[in-house]
Amino acid sequence: MMNFAHYTNQKNPTQAVNQAVEAAKKANAKLNAVVTLVDPGEQLSQLEKYAGGKMFGIPIVLKDNVNTRGILTTAGSRILGNYVPQYDATIAEKLREAGAVVIAKSSLDEFGMGGSNLSAATGPVYNPYDLTRMSGGSSGGSAVLVASGVVPFAIGSDTGDSVRKPASYNGIVGYKPTYGRISRYGIIPYASSLDHVAFFTRNVTDAAIALEVLSGRDDRDMTSLQLPVEDYASALNPSLKGKRIGILTNVLKAITNPDIQAHFATLVANLKEQGATIVDIEMNQDLLSAILPTYYIIANAEATANHSNLDGLRFGVQKEGKEVDEVMSASRTAGFGKQIRKRFVIGSYALFVENQDKLFRKAQKVRRLIVEDLKNALSGIDGLIAPASAGVAPKLTDTSMDQLSSTYLIAENYMVMGNFSGYPSVTLPLGYCDGLPVGVNLTCKLYDEQTTLNLALAIEQATGLADQIKEVA
Amino acid sequence: MNRYEPEYFKSLAKQLRFSLSDEEARAIADEFGVLLDQMDLLDKIDTEGVEEMVYPIEEETSFMRDDEVGHTFTVEQALFNAPHQANDHFVTVKVVG
Repeated sequence: MMNFAHYTNQKNPTQAVNQAVEAAKKANAKLNAVVTLVDPGEQLSQLEKYAGGKMFGIPIVLKDNVNTRGILTTAGSRILGNYVPQYDATIAEKLREAGAVVIAKSSLDEFGMGGSNLSAATGPVYNPYDLTRMSGGSSGGSAVLVASGVVPFAIGSDTGDSVRKPASYNGIVGYKPTYGRISRYGIIPYASSLDHVAFFTRNVTDAAIALEVLSGRDDRDMTSLQLPVEDYASALNPSLKGKRIGILTNVLKAITNPDIQAHFATLVANLKEQGATIVDIEMNQDLLSAILPTYYIIANAEATANHSNLDGLRFGVQKEGKEVDEVMSASRTAGFGKQIRKRFVIGSYALFVENQDKLFRKAQKVRRLIVEDLKNALSGIDGLIAPASAGVAPKLTDTSMDQLSSTYLIAENYMVMGNFSGYPSVTLPLGYCDGLPVGVNLTCKLYDEQTTLNLALAIEQATGLADQIKEVA
Repeated sequence: MNRYEPEYFKSLAKQLRFSLSDEEARAIADEFGVLLDQMDLLDKIDTEGVEEMVYPIEEETSFMRDDEVGHTFTVEQALFNAPHQANDHFVTVKVVG
């Protein structure tokens, strides 16, 4: 079993890390998941300093929006195609001090702005279960490198389900903690009020260990929580005696795939057998239908502002012009992909003075109502579950879904509630449909990582789907 | 000018300091109808008296730190990624005529 313990218990971490590098090269030929392979030599030469670390000797991957000192960091964009950070993100420091060894920076939708990984400057990432299907995004490269067995852990970021959706499409665990639990210092942003550092593992115990390593107050991120780091792994307890689990019925009604419904029903029956009380939870349908447009307005508006510093003048790829304005326009036109320019235009539209009340402020108010409805839904239960997507990973060319249907608006986008609210939320493997994985999502109360992990462990034991790997030949 | 013609989106892009090709502007104009239909879903929701939610955690996490030197960059580090530099400064084409 290639879990954390497999790596931390072995006598020769150098060999294990080098094997992971070779595996990454081989898998990448099929998956196109890597932006930069990192030579681990220098890290290995320093590794003994971190002996006893919770992730000692574990080869890991970072999404390429994590600043890494001296290592190319592109955020999946052409405009940062030559950007070499001069500092480490806080999480890069924490992982190094825990003994982890970075072997690659992984592909993402440009600046994390997408759910398909099709907008990455390096091209699409392919799903290891079916290379004609998408990885999901925006943390697609990280997801497939964990799913294909290259590494047992990878960092992603989750602004609108960008870890939890690809986890579903790739049969692995995708954990998004409470907003502010993990420092965002040094993460190239997408939308600051929604951005979370999140991560992939192949089982819940490893997720608990990783959360211990990554959590904690960081004065360099002013939204970082002033809460102590807990011993999540040693406190893991999958007992469901006395636990109340809610089923989000709006999502189930919006899903038409009978295999997913059947897998979910089996899981629910199993949780009941283990002693959980199952409660149907119906949230306000109008609010759930408004999640996607609310997200689109807030996220794109924040992104438009956040990325105004990408002008080709102080860093990044510069194109020539006679005046500063021309340099900026030429650099930004050549540097941003068309999907991102589209999103910036929409974000700018929502921020115009004449649209602010109707769109931007309205969306921020609707956000509050959605979060209040979620809070009420969770008030009498320990956790809320539903399938993590309406189907398996789509084909790379599939754009057929009706974007005003409840299947799309609710079943494909409800997990964004976790970003609006900042509540901890995790996707776990639920089962397989014709050999392709689908996931189940669990969301719990603000700050309550331990209950999230405990219930996640109970779900993992119920499905028996820990440590799933799909190697690519 | 109709604000939802392709030219409208080109003018928005210009303000954001990038350009759109004719094809890209047309594609956004075509897609914008669906986006507006989705945005109309917000109108169904009564937000009278509701305060905007700007951040998910509304308890204070920031603070006024002491005025002491903390994390700093050297000039060399700050200029490391600059496309053009000279004498410890960023260099650009002329800003004023």
